[in-house]
Amino acid sequence: MGALFVAPAAAYIGIFHLFPVVYGLYLSFTRYSPLDRGGPQLIGIDNYVDLLSDADFHKSVRVTVQFVAEVLPFAVAIALGLALLANRSMRGIGLFRAGLFLPRIVPLAAVSLIWLWLYSPDGWFNHLLGQVGLDPRNWLLDEGTALHAVAGMRVWKALGGNMVLFLAGLQAIPRTLYEAATVDGANSWQRFRYVTLPGLRPVTTYIVILNIVYLAQSFAEIFILTGGGPLRSTTTTNFLIYEEAFQNNRFGSASAMAFVLFALIFAFSFMILRRMGSNR
Amino acid sequence: MPEFEAANDAELDVTFVPWEDVSTRLNTGFAGGTAPDVFGHGPAAAAGLAESDRLEPLDGFIELLEPSDLEDLAAFLVGGQVNGSQYMVPLGGEGRLIAYRKDLFADAGLDPDDPPSTWNDAYDAAVELTSGDTAGLILQTGEIQRVQSFMGLLGSEGGQLLSDDGAEVTWNSDAGVRALEYFVRLHQGDPAVSDLLGADFANQPAAQNPLATGSAAMVMVTSGQAVQIARARPELTDQIALIQPMSSAEAEMFGGPGPGLFMNKDSGNKELAWAFMEFMLSADVSESYAQVTGQIPVRASAKDGDYVADEPLIASFIEAGPNFVGSPNVPAWVEVRNVIDQHLERALHAEVSPREALDDAAAEAGPLLSGE
Amino acid sequence: MMSVHTSRGPGRIGARWPAVRRPATRWIARRRPGTFLVLMIATVLVMMPFLWMLSIAFKPEAEVFTSVPSMLPADPTFENFSTAWTSGNVGRAMINSTMVAGAAVLVNCTFAVLAGYAFAKLPFRGSTLVFLLMISTAMVPVAVTLIPLFLMTKGFPLVGGNDLLGQDGTGLLDTLPGVVLPHLIAPLNIFLARQYFFGLDDDLGEAARIDGASELTTFWRIYVPLARPLVAVVAIFSFTAVWDDFLWPLVVTSSMEAETVQLALSKFLTGGNVMYGPAMAGAVLVILPVVAVFVFNQRSFIAGLSDGGVKG
Repeated sequence: MGALFVAPAAAYIGIFHLFPVVYGLYLSFTRYSPLDRGGPQLIGIDNYVDLLSDADFHKSVRVTVQFVAEVLPFAVAIALGLALLANRSMRGIGLFRAGLFLPRIVPLAAVSLIWLWLYSPDGWFNHLLGQVGLDPRNWLLDEGTALHAVAGMRVWKALGGNMVLFLAGLQAIPRTLYEAATVDGANSWQRFRYVTLPGLRPVTTYIVILNIVYLAQSFAEIFILTGGGPLRSTTTTNFLIYEEAFQNNRFGSASAMAFVLFALIFAFSFMILRRMGSNR
Repeated sequence: MPEFEAANDAELDVTFVPWEDVSTRLNTGFAGGTAPDVFGHGPAAAAGLAESDRLEPLDGFIELLEPSDLEDLAAFLVGGQVNGSQYMVPLGGEGRLIAYRKDLFADAGLDPDDPPSTWNDAYDAAVELTSGDTAGLILQTGEIQRVQSFMGLLGSEGGQLLSDDGAEVTWNSDAGVRALEYFVRLHQGDPAVSDLLGADFANQPAAQNPLATGSAAMVMVTSGQAVQIARARPELTDQIALIQPMSSAEAEMFGGPGPGLFMNKDSGNKELAWAFMEFMLSADVSESYAQVTGQIPVRASAKDGDYVADEPLIASFIEAGPNFVGSPNVPAWVEVRNVIDQHLERALHAEVSPREALDDAAAEAGPLLSGE
Repeated sequence: MMSVHTSRGPGRIGARWPAVRRPATRWIARRRPGTFLVLMIATVLVMMPFLWMLSIAFKPEAEVFTSVPSMLPADPTFENFSTAWTSGNVGRAMINSTMVAGAAVLVNCTFAVLAGYAFAKLPFRGSTLVFLLMISTAMVPVAVTLIPLFLMTKGFPLVGGNDLLGQDGTGLLDTLPGVVLPHLIAPLNIFLARQYFFGLDDDLGEAARIDGASELTTFWRIYVPLARPLVAVVAIFSFTAVWDDFLWPLVVTSSMEAETVQLALSKFLTGGNVMYGPAMAGAVLVILPVVAVFVFNQRSFIAGLSDGGVKG
């Protein structure tokens, strides 16, 4: 019966999501530029072998890992805090929820221009620094701060979606558990620690994996804010893949990079899924 | 567009694609056999597309132009040629010049009407002009833009990026090293006269350009940026002027045709495709195109037109036309450019010496130039 | 986190005012001034970049990005909005995106939720493998899948002049069905549904089955009502996924008739010639429908909803 319920989704995903992935896997063993008339040419594992000695690729993996590690804790913890704050049935709460969700839905290309300005030498952040007597910084041009700056924007962008997920997760915790805990004399911290957190585990697992999947494939905000610089300090793997595919027209080697990235994302996700458990 | 449709009794499907997404769009189009009859793209892509046999040579069509039109367009047509064949008709011209603030010159005790004419004079002037919150001289150092700045410096040292046949790297010549040493000195020298290393002025609001804010006295600008700055800060109109290409050995700056139109080799409608290209090149249309984009008009005769009369800064760019040097049209250019870009960045950040950066770039680009 | 646990409580609030009848809900400011203040500060901080955007949308060009930043326009104007609306094709694009996003919401809310439910409550032989395969497709960068997906859209059989084998025509290229094709069921929505149903009690379904209910009835009558917050989230996320998409509509559409909102906006944003006022005004216009979808759906996040019949 379960298989029957899954069948429509499986058929669709098999055709329109899995097949292109399999084709991409095939491309990773070829040399291919869509501009050439010849089509893909099989070259075996050369693309993967080349990656072993590709310093740019190695650096991009390090940047990607650092980026995910920097954004993830904040994007999850702050979102949880916001969800707990916004989780009450009171008039007017919808407005706050909408306001907090806003970053998720503002068109990225437009709001990136705002961030570009906020971070610029004459921008608002430096204006604020100036008002408290601090020196301005070149947030996006300095190798030491550029990735943090992009990460800052990304935390902002991720908060709303994660908050909504936590809000939904909170609704699945039976009220009776809180009542029982109160009867047992639990204080509010204990209720949070022993009722709320365990109750949120399935959705937290999801949020962590979802964020890893998205963060590890970050591209658009980097493209607009830093273009991968300075000195490749914000060139994530997906950014490199984009350059390799659409600027250099090397789809074979771009695909190989993509599947190495895929393997990393999958391994991390699988580990977390195992550790945080399917919670039955 | 409706004007063209009416005149040719044809129906035109126009798709707007931001310049930065053209490659993505063309890749899928060519892969699926649905690429448009005519498409706009930068000249940097010309040789690569031509080598992949995706472009219709336009020489046969160009020959049919009136001789007077041909002469009018001649200056920028050259940049759309690969191995002597015309593949792109430019929509407008682009160039880089140094713009400066007369008021800041006067404040520093320099003659606002006699700007420096050589790069060394420019550095000396920049030293005078540099103060706490004002940089003396800023070239463009954003991604890819630093390659274009370097090409100008290299040209003025009498060097060039590649040998004439496009097969050999020549940017690591002595002229190249001198050019890059100068570039690096602006940022790392004692004293440094530049800041905002890596800033992309093309993607910043004109009002925030250091020339507009007064945080720099001399700034390298494109014609579009010059026009936009003047529009954003009308009160500065009298204070901003442009310096003709400066020299060390020769007077050269980066410039040439901007993005132009290409014809798909598989187009089933080449006559009409050319009619559209010809329409875009016509005097009125090309002038208003330049006006909207702030580019240099593609026709020499437009120097007496309304656009140039309205935007006096454009006249300086037209005047500099003969001194502009463009990118080499070799098939691997986009990749080669990205290689140079990466190594120039390292040199500008003082991670490696200028000679080392240029040699490294040459070693990496060699295989690309010889076709893998 | 301090303010978090001192004022915690779906339990307490829900206990006094159950979701179904809450005659005495009050404005949050009066009930809990402390929470209100913290929420207020957090919301304003989070909204700051948006507020700047809004401010630019109302500014004439000369006021944009002046050296001393001022959020309030000195000389407010609606001109940017009319420019965005008339010259940007924003109206048509919003209708297109709404239709496409609506389709994605319907299909996701049905089939992704159903599949996620089955993975959580009705596991079958090989279900873990099928599940992992499905979500793994979300972990492959789009640069790789773009071209095959494009070719499949072009070769979709029996539409757009294509024959049964998908030859001779342009398939779903430049159509709204083509735009929605990759968004119909998002693997990560299935994953979310699975996790959500894991959190709900198995005993409920057991009880229904003992009473002789079919699996579909159990799903529909017992679990879906408890999963309203989940459906709301899937709806919101499916809608925004389509609404935000830029790359796919860019390659798959070519006419103004099939244009989506992000494509319409990109006209003001092209590199080197950004029209800040109209771009920001267009962006503000374009988020209004999404805010409406959100506000409508977020009403499902009512503390204490999961009362009905859940055993502790």
